Amino acid sequence: MKTFQEIIHRLLEFWMDYGCVIQQPYDLEVGAGTMHPETFFRVLGPTPYKVAYVQPSRRPADGRYGENPNRLYRHYQLQVILKPAPGDVQDVYLESIRRLGIPLEKHDLVFDEDNWESPTLGAWGIGWQVLLDGLEITQFTYFQQAGGIDLMPISAELTYGLERIAAFLTDKNSVFEIPWNRELSYGDVRQREEYEFSKYSFEVADTTMLHQLFDLYERESNRCLEHGCTLAAYDYCLKCSHTFNLLDSRGAISVTQRVETIARVRSLAVKIARQYVETHEQVPV
Amino acid sequence: MNKFLFELGLEEIPPYMITPALEHLSRGCAALLDENQVPCEMRTFSSPRRLALLLEGLPDRQPDRKETVLGPPVAVAYKDGKPTRAAEGFAGKEGVSVSDLKTVETEKGQYLAHERQIGGRPLPDILTDVFLQGIRSLSWPKNMYWRESRFRFIRPIRWLLALWNDEILPLELEGVRAGRTTRGHRFLGQQEISLADADQYEEKLRENFVLVRPEERRRVIQEQIEAQIPQGLQLLPDPALLETLVHLTEYPGVIRGTFSQDFLKLPQEVLVTVMRHHQKYFSVVDRTGAVQPWFLAVLNMDRDPEGRICQVHEKVLQARLEDASFFWEADRKKPLAERAGDLDQVLFQEKLGTYRDKTERIQQLCRQLEKNPDLDTAASLCKVDLTTEMVREFTELQGEMGGLYAREEGYPEVVWKAIYEHYKPVSLEDESPSSRNGALLSIADKIDTVVGCFGIGILPTGSSDPFALRRQSLGFVKVLFDHQFDYSLEYLVEQAQKNFPSKRPKKEVRHQVLDFLRRRVRYVFQEKGIAYDVLNAVLSIEIRNVYDAYERARALAGIRGEEDFEALAMAYKRIKNILAGQTIKARAVSEKQLVEPEEKNLYHAYLDLRPQLETQLKNGDYIDALKRMAGLRQTVDRFFDKVLVMSEDEKLRRNRLRMLHEISQLFLTVADISEIVQEGK
Repeated sequence: MKTFQEIIHRLLEFWMDYGCVIQQPYDLEVGAGTMHPETFFRVLGPTPYKVAYVQPSRRPADGRYGENPNRLYRHYQLQVILKPAPGDVQDVYLESIRRLGIPLEKHDLVFDEDNWESPTLGAWGIGWQVLLDGLEITQFTYFQQAGGIDLMPISAELTYGLERIAAFLTDKNSVFEIPWNRELSYGDVRQREEYEFSKYSFEVADTTMLHQLFDLYERESNRCLEHGCTLAAYDYCLKCSHTFNLLDSRGAISVTQRVETIARVRSLAVKIARQYVETHEQVPV
Repeated sequence: MNKFLFELGLEEIPPYMITPALEHLSRGCAALLDENQVPCEMRTFSSPRRLALLLEGLPDRQPDRKETVLGPPVAVAYKDGKPTRAAEGFAGKEGVSVSDLKTVETEKGQYLAHERQIGGRPLPDILTDVFLQGIRSLSWPKNMYWRESRFRFIRPIRWLLALWNDEILPLELEGVRAGRTTRGHRFLGQQEISLADADQYEEKLRENFVLVRPEERRRVIQEQIEAQIPQGLQLLPDPALLETLVHLTEYPGVIRGTFSQDFLKLPQEVLVTVMRHHQKYFSVVDRTGAVQPWFLAVLNMDRDPEGRICQVHEKVLQARLEDASFFWEADRKKPLAERAGDLDQVLFQEKLGTYRDKTERIQQLCRQLEKNPDLDTAASLCKVDLTTEMVREFTELQGEMGGLYAREEGYPEVVWKAIYEHYKPVSLEDESPSSRNGALLSIADKIDTVVGCFGIGILPTGSSDPFALRRQSLGFVKVLFDHQFDYSLEYLVEQAQKNFPSKRPKKEVRHQVLDFLRRRVRYVFQEKGIAYDVLNAVLSIEIRNVYDAYERARALAGIRGEEDFEALAMAYKRIKNILAGQTIKARAVSEKQLVEPEEKNLYHAYLDLRPQLETQLKNGDYIDALKRMAGLRQTVDRFFDKVLVMSEDEKLRRNRLRMLHEISQLFLTVADISEIVQEGK
């Protein structure tokens, strides 16, 4: 099993066997698997849940025109939420790594303290980055808060860095050399995209328009909340967040605006989370 | 004699928390055992996933003890020689007969009492309570939840071991029941190791690739490092990194890797930071201290037969060094002077503005301190490195990177070095900047931060100091001391305040800052061995120059034991007490109104002393100054013997007070010697 798509397949299979709902990537621009409604909403409230999905994650500031062997405008995460976090969650995770064909007695896997935080979502957790021979391959987090709300039960969030794992398994120095399938490489499939989106976010994006869009999205999100359309409100919150990322990478946000803008997105996320808990959690899943 | 083994099994604890937690736990348990009168010898063990205590030499039970319970007063207990209902009731409650009771003497008179015999509890019961309490009392810098019970702890508790000799004790915590099994190394050892008794702990774990003694892991790492350093080269010592790695591994092993010589074109600071900070590698240097293209990594395993692990490490390091190279090249395309405007984009603090604002303030301050074009240049550029890619990626390189880029651009050493050093000292153990410009820049930057924050109400609390104001202040004081700068604390704070619009009343802020700084001065002097009362004497007056204050303190410390001086200090205390609460009008002492010979003598002695003291103080001759003051002792004593300061005659009284006030003011130009505690008291 030595291609990018086989790795994804193998991991999803593992989590499917474990009993997770296998979901699909969210169809909006997001910066991380955590932002998918299947994480943001599902971790709130008391209802247990298990889900796994791949999430392409866009981080405009990390774009490198397809020239850097490690940094990408868009990378793929494999996100798993286990709620409540099972008592043997670390062992289950390690089993998933073994299932990828990585013999852990021959490698150096370390749980290195790293607490993850997302100011825009009002979310944070406690956990580790998982290092495999010095290479970070997963963010392993016990989710403590989302949308400013203390969570109970606590969800375990496992975020696999798919390109990292693939580069490790296929012994490649550059992400673009990873075989995507038997014929095509990661670069064949994605390098052009990396170039164009880097160009767009660093050089082309119309910042006036983006500022306007941010305000429009924010307004619509609040409108949705007024009408009790929590999930739609969240979509607009995500749009605000991505718009902010574009403005930021373009250097179009002043430093004081930055603080203020993050606060605006966070404020939406908090209201959305609260409305969700008040309404959805009354309806059994 | 019995043994008790306790192991708390967790998910990986952050390395720097392990030793303090283990100490806290063992001390807490020792104290509880002591309360219960249980003697024992205690040994501690730890690894990233476990905290363990082994107690030996335990008795079977607690010693029996007596407890006296008071009953009714004797006066009520007996009537006509016979026990009353009160006495019988008490006896009955205690389950004994009246004849078993005793009489005890208390402050309130005689009482009936029962001396209870309390049998010692069996040790296993006590231990269960002690250890549960011990764990619950642990406090961690950061806690998490993982269960519905909302029990907060550093990481989830996954197993418990509690063996009394060979028996399991019934301990239960957060859904985990104690047993006799422990867990070995996650990958090299067994996951369920059953222990027959407490003695098997260390060995069985060792067989399963867990070394439970940090000192052993440390030794293994150090030995393997020694063995792997290439010939002719040496390790760049990094004690903090070593400690982290000791507590990050259960079974350490060291590998040696290389990186391309090409990267040696990067500054040493960058190479070492990349290796240490992101990858936790040790660097290797030659005799001159130049970094060599090797690194030493500590793994949580002892083998890498195919070199596969090393290969991955090398690849990861290469990627990071390539990033650093890219930054090094890209950053230098934009000269530092052109970056000043970019500082508009880097926020210092919401209400205190951007780093551009801060730079302007620092420049202003430096101009006040010294008219020096090189200093001014350095000040204008000192924060510009915050806009570089390198510092954005490796924030700990701020300052140093600015200096290095300035050097590359050809700025003279007096400029680039100042920028390079201006963050120092970063701790009390760190050195102050070596160059004068670096030192001036350092104090300007630090006092700006402290005054700015205090001015908007950001004060450090017990648990929170996000702007590291304590550390900044300590560094500030240390630089003033090390460079013997002749600026008073008040002057520096005032100058810094000028740069800020007033939100809070300036005087109030100034007092708060000075108070804060004075405490740091106290700390620094304490570390240098100055006694607390000497500190009080020297710090009660304005600190016109930190180093000078230290010289006074030393002089005081030297003279304090001398008889004359001690007597004078006492006399001065008397003077101070008399003056306390009196309002003295600033009018000259009238010689004509000095009536008694003793008060005339005192005044003349004072007049003689004043110019001498002033000269001595100007020259920093504190020992002589204090000796001269001490020479006044007899005159002062005779004054108090013979003269009534608080005379009924108002004119005389006021005159005497004025004189004492003048004398006091003169003394206070040296120190407040009333603070000196008599030796032997």
